[in-house]
Amino acid sequence: MEFNPKKLRRTVLDMAYTGSTAHIGCALSIIEILSVLYKNYLHYPENNPISKYRDYFVLSKGHGVMAQYACMLELGWLNNNDILNYFSDGSNLKGLSDSRIPGIEVTSGSLGHGFSVGVGLAMGLKLNGAEQKTYVLVGDGEINEGPIWEGALFAAHNNLDNFMAIVDENGFQAMGETQDIIGLGSIQSKFESFGFDVISVDGHDEAAINKSIEKLWKSEEKKPKALIAKTIKGKGVDFMENDNSWHYTRLDKESYQQAILSINRE
Amino acid sequence: MRQAFSDTLVELGKKDQKVLLLTGDHGYALFDDFRRECPKQYINVGIAEQNMVGLAAGLARTGFKPVVYGLSAFVPIRVIEQIKLDVAHDKLPIIFIGDGAGFVYSHLGTSHQSTEDIACSRSIPNLSVYSPADRFELEWCLHTAYKEKSAVYLRMGKSDIGDIHKLSLGMQSGDLIKVKTGVDSRVSFIATGSMVKTATDISGKLSIDVDVWSVPFIKPINHSIVEGICRNNKFIVVFEEHSKYGGLGSLIAEIASASYPLKILQIAVDDCFSQKCGTYEYLLKEHGLDFESAYKKVCSFLQKL
Repeated sequence: MEFNPKKLRRTVLDMAYTGSTAHIGCALSIIEILSVLYKNYLHYPENNPISKYRDYFVLSKGHGVMAQYACMLELGWLNNNDILNYFSDGSNLKGLSDSRIPGIEVTSGSLGHGFSVGVGLAMGLKLNGAEQKTYVLVGDGEINEGPIWEGALFAAHNNLDNFMAIVDENGFQAMGETQDIIGLGSIQSKFESFGFDVISVDGHDEAAINKSIEKLWKSEEKKPKALIAKTIKGKGVDFMENDNSWHYTRLDKESYQQAILSINRE
Repeated sequence: MRQAFSDTLVELGKKDQKVLLLTGDHGYALFDDFRRECPKQYINVGIAEQNMVGLAAGLARTGFKPVVYGLSAFVPIRVIEQIKLDVAHDKLPIIFIGDGAGFVYSHLGTSHQSTEDIACSRSIPNLSVYSPADRFELEWCLHTAYKEKSAVYLRMGKSDIGDIHKLSLGMQSGDLIKVKTGVDSRVSFIATGSMVKTATDISGKLSIDVDVWSVPFIKPINHSIVEGICRNNKFIVVFEEHSKYGGLGSLIAEIASASYPLKILQIAVDDCFSQKCGTYEYLLKEHGLDFESAYKKVCSFLQKL
């Protein structure tokens, strides 16, 4: 499986158009991160999304779930009918991540939950003597939430070096730019001061993401890890990039076609 | 009751190393025995209740059986969304202990008092709610909670008012327990937690002889037993150290209205916070839950017989 970013983005747009859904920009910003994780790091024995021996990927920023659905389609955990019937009455896939779908670990949308669950998973794996890893993807807006930092303190205090937080730093949250709403300053410095091993990376450079994750896991330090991924909200669709209105705006036929053309052009 | 809690926890912890006790920096002396007997199963997560519940959800998913301890003002009230989304939604087997429910922390004020916890927790799917009255009920509730495959909220209220029962119990989950059998078939008392003793004391002072029931299992509750009580009586008095909204009184009224409607008097907390500082007994009086206040309300109600 290639987890080709262009293909993943097209699936996101197909779903967004079919379901007439919002939250397009925040799904497009995490495509390369998910591509690298699913391609190179998340191990699911026998391609079983609920294998007891899987690595855990927790999408704490549940608003970006269409990007995960796109990867799950590649894995064969979803099929084309799931995509074509997105948001139809009686369908299973919701607009925010729901743990009842095999492959999705937590129910999110209320933000700041997945981080702590991921810390618990990492601790449980340690206590069981298991080698699996836990990844939690949070948004930069999401880290306004207090429990993120409660969980970060706990992870560092307990040397959970099998835990990796990935921050999608796209610079926007629901109502505008993060720097205007709740200024975060240096996210890298914050996680470092909380006791994490941290690397910042271009969140759309697959090779760089890959290398950074590898470097974090190879670190000898018994610290939890954090990857700060600088991304562009709406990445890949020229008229959506850094335009926060695509957190809410729906695609019509014309804008859908333009968006697909933009992706194919890139 | 607190010693019984500690003893049962140690028993479960020694029997099953997957039992982990999580506390949000509360319960200092209460856990001395557990910390000594099961040191690797004790986790103080710090003053961070929201993280504690998410953490417990992660641990449960990797095969552990977390017991999450806090004051009931914090567990479940502060973390009700974490319980709903991270735990109950996925039917994770986690036991939540809410200590000091009601007005136990009478001197500390509203932040530490809890009279809305039953109402909030019993409306969450996949979450059972237990409210033991004495050490025997507590032992039974904790053992039952341990065997449950989904989450339980166990409410611990005033714990030093003596035993209701004389022996260890052997009822089914959901059963009400008849504490006292009366000959008058017109009136029954139904109570939970600390108020079972008050209900029993009042029943002994009345001119009529009434049944008194204790409710350690608020959810699920045995509907057929409650319907039987409703069918066989004209009046019910419900006693609880909890808001009159959404607690045991509301629950009994819900079942009665759908089966055998009858008049119900609620001895419960009105729609107000505590106003003053004082002893536990003082605050019960402020809220009309002390023996004398409750007795007067019951007598006035029974005049309608």
